[in-house]
Amino acid sequence: MPNNYFNTLPLREQLEQLAKCRFMDISEFSDGVSALKGKKMVIIGCGAQGLNQGLNLRDSGLDVSYALRQAAITEKRQSWKNASENGFTVGTYEELVPTADIVLNLTPDKQHTSVVTAVMPLMKQGACLSYSHGFNIVEEGMKVREDLTVIMVAPKCPGSEVRAEYVRGFGVPTLIAVHEDNDPKGEGLALAKAYAVGTGGHKAGVLMSSFIAEVKSDLMGEQTILCGMLQTGSLLCFDKMIEEGVDAGYASKLIQFGWETVTEALKYGGVTNMLDRLSNPAKIKAFDLSEELKVIMRPLYNKHQDDIIDGTFSRTMMEDWANDDKNLLGWRAETAETAFEKTPAGDVEISEQEYFDHGILMVAMVKAGVELAFETMTAAGIVADSAYYESLHETPLIANTIARKKLYEMNATISDTAEYGCYLYNHACLPLLADFMKGIKTDVIGRGLPVDDNGVDNARLIEVNTALRSHPVEAIGAVLRGHMADMKKIV
Amino acid sequence: MTTRRPIHLEALTIQFDERFQLNNINWQIEPEQHWVITGTNGAGKSALAAVLAGAGERVSGSLSGLPARVGVVSFEAQAELIEAERKKDDADILDVISEGTPVHEMLFKDCADPATARDLVARFKLEYLLDRAFRKLSTGESRKVMLIRALSSNPELLVLDEPFDGLDVDTLSMLQAYLATLIETVPMVLVLNRFDEFPDFITDIAYVNQGELQLQVKRDDPKAYAELYQLLHLKTTQLAVPPADPETAIPALDPAQPLVHLNGVSIKYDDKALFSDLDWTINPNQHWQLSGPNGSGKTGLLSLITGDHPQCYVNDIFVFGFKRGSGESIWQIKQFIGYVSSALQWEYRVGTSLRNVIISGFYDSIGLYSKYSDRQRQIADQWLALLGMSHRADQPFNKLSYGDQRLLLIARAMVKHPPLLILDEPCLGLDDMNRQLVLALIEKICAGTETAVIYVNHHPEDRIEGIENYLALNAPTPTQ
Ligand SMILES: NC(=O)c1ccc[n+]([C@@H]2O[C@H](COP(=O)([O-])OP(=O)(O)OC[C@H]3O[C@@H](n4cnc5c(N)ncnc54)[C@H](OP(=O)(O)O)[C@@H]3O)[C@@H](O)[C@H]2O)c1
Repeated sequence: MPNNYFNTLPLREQLEQLAKCRFMDISEFSDGVSALKGKKMVIIGCGAQGLNQGLNLRDSGLDVSYALRQAAITEKRQSWKNASENGFTVGTYEELVPTADIVLNLTPDKQHTSVVTAVMPLMKQGACLSYSHGFNIVEEGMKVREDLTVIMVAPKCPGSEVRAEYVRGFGVPTLIAVHEDNDPKGEGLALAKAYAVGTGGHKAGVLMSSFIAEVKSDLMGEQTILCGMLQTGSLLCFDKMIEEGVDAGYASKLIQFGWETVTEALKYGGVTNMLDRLSNPAKIKAFDLSEELKVIMRPLYNKHQDDIIDGTFSRTMMEDWANDDKNLLGWRAETAETAFEKTPAGDVEISEQEYFDHGILMVAMVKAGVELAFETMTAAGIVADSAYYESLHETPLIANTIARKKLYEMNATISDTAEYGCYLYNHACLPLLADFMKGIKTDVIGRGLPVDDNGVDNARLIEVNTALRSHPVEAIGAVLRGHMADMKKIV
Repeated sequence: MTTRRPIHLEALTIQFDERFQLNNINWQIEPEQHWVITGTNGAGKSALAAVLAGAGERVSGSLSGLPARVGVVSFEAQAELIEAERKKDDADILDVISEGTPVHEMLFKDCADPATARDLVARFKLEYLLDRAFRKLSTGESRKVMLIRALSSNPELLVLDEPFDGLDVDTLSMLQAYLATLIETVPMVLVLNRFDEFPDFITDIAYVNQGELQLQVKRDDPKAYAELYQLLHLKTTQLAVPPADPETAIPALDPAQPLVHLNGVSIKYDDKALFSDLDWTINPNQHWQLSGPNGSGKTGLLSLITGDHPQCYVNDIFVFGFKRGSGESIWQIKQFIGYVSSALQWEYRVGTSLRNVIISGFYDSIGLYSKYSDRQRQIADQWLALLGMSHRADQPFNKLSYGDQRLLLIARAMVKHPPLLILDEPCLGLDDMNRQLVLALIEKICAGTETAVIYVNHHPEDRIEGIENYLALNAPTPTQ
């Protein structure tokens, strides 16, 4: 059975690794891709990350080819098509891995143990093995041959974004790390930086982090605010509106596109800006609801973080892997049967502002989820920069997927790991909020506050505004969005 | 008010002399309308006005509804009158040197409406020259006399070609105000170059270009009106295409090498070839038109050159000194190319300012992600001036009209003076007005720079001066 790497470390080192995170200056990337120039990069797997990272690296002048498992080649699977139609050399592990100076493992996390076990013996002495997520190293304790350098370059976006932003001449925020146990030649950082430049990530901002910080924060973010909260929120809000007699098509649309619309405001000015989009009475309402939600949900966020830190989460999930994903598949089928999922969005016009005005509860849920995830992560020793990226920053990106095809699309886009965690959260959160939802009426979800009274108490408004603006996620958010804006003049 | 009928020009072609012809004019002037004819110099706007005064020789088409009494003021009519006066002198057989016809006789002899004439003499303050000979007057003075004659002739139509030219400010506003008092009685057609001189009572504008009446715009359609303004600006501005930025100059290319050499290239999807075994060499400063039906692979072919098509790595492609797939980055390729297409416009949905969109052309990016220099900012501002958009420099790009966006993207593509400019259906999706605008800008660019242009287009009428090479792709073949 796998051996949790994090748990083998002494507390001192665990804390040190968790706290590793530094926003790198653009000048640190002045060497460009030169550390990889002329080297052979072989990517294992040609899915969302594999294909798009490969396209970027090649367009940056690097030598990229794909090693796929034999079955994918023989059956001409999508991964084979992806690589060959785009004019890449494709071969088996045996053909390509021995020639590689750097092997990019971009297969699903679940497969990493078997893939790395198969590939490692074929790798040449002193080569580099790279990941885009540290699960295999941190949670499964993969031991990599001592002569190999192990790095991580993790774009904080889905693969399609990785490509689209590169083509625009920009990139996506990226986290890099070197596995200190595997840096025999001390070249890990140089390779990771060159790789980040090759994908365009350096233009959008790079965090120098650790495998551990990346995994523990990434898991936390995706299961709670990013996917879990949006799923639970979707189901609860929809059922409430139906119960209260709101038109089903309207309710479905309000939620499907509402998350995207309200979280878009996060990109520009964080939680504060999202709440500033509401009228004064609605803002105070959303604030009060979110305070209530935070009290109810805080133990759940703590539990998720605890289970992630001590390895309980990955252990139980891996048990499900060993059990042919019985739970995961069952929960996936269950989600497909929910009323929200089965009700198509109605053909009604909803203006951008109406999504806010009629979605006060959704705004409150996003606020509560973002702040709780951020607070819990930082309390666990994760640096604010990381916690920001894994909570607030990614929320609009996930919300976009719901706008496309509801929860189905979200769960199909995110990794199996995220999906598994999302269902765990959802199962715990639904009953937790049952009482709270009893007090909810359509004034905060579906119909909006009555318009006759727009007055608020000045002192209360000032209190709420101050509380919003002084939350720590807003402080770090302003700094990091500022970095982005320096480089990215558009939003 | 007498009942008047519309003046109707239908498919009218009129010959003036060997050098000039107005073609296929379709135009209706309703009794209650007041028109401005505008256009560049030599476009035919004075000729069109003169047609209303009976000038020119009809080749085909019809002209109806022209009233009997048309009051005309124009340089041509003025010159004719002066010429006639001179002839009178020459014909004079007496020994005494003739003074020519005095102004009062020019004004009041055979005058239909002497009261108006007197009134106008006072308004124009011309009393002092009533006794002078007409041909001795300055141009400005004789122009005023012409105006009075036309206005006091009980006209049923007034045709005034640049009536405000050479008038001082006071006289100009007096005349404008006076004309405004006539709008209920007589329809007016004014030829004017400057938008700021259009009187408020104007209801319609006719835009003449290359002997054709190309656009008719309602005064109360603010969008079309603004576009016409911009078009006239682009056509008439003395501003040239702004220079490149010397600090971020594109690396020099070997002038003896082709810019692009495609050797037996193809694009294949599954078992289907979009095109195959195609050769194409583009030399510096050589203009090409690329044509072919939909689906023939025009855009695919271009994207092999720009590096946007992934199969550029499996073809034999030489661009700007690089053999593709030899370790170059696409940014090294893109620096030599300016590119405009409707696909780019779809991609370019950013809220950044107009100025930033132009500056982004220095960096080949969609949106601006780099710190730019003051010099680059200046150049961008010069482009905005050329486009007539200076006052909108800080407005968000995505709020612009579709046509204005296109103009801006062309400027973005040209800002770095690339050796190769690719215009992939630059007029696609544009209305007439915006097509004119885009073509005017492209002509300006082709005339003023050393850029090879690849122009992709379906419409033969959107031809651009100076293209001498053609490549046509065939309809796609079903297999292989
Ligand atoms: N998705 C994201 O948003 C995201 C963001 C950052 C990082 N990441 C990380 O990027 C990595 C790849 O994720 P992804 O989303 O790109 O995965 P994906 O789209 O599911 O693609 C996985 C690829 O691996 C191949 N593959 C699957 N099982 C395999 C096996 N047993 N052996 C060899 N190849 C196998 C698949 O091709 P065949 O089945 O045809 O062989 C497929 O091409 C993961 O580590 C993930 O955590 C993902």
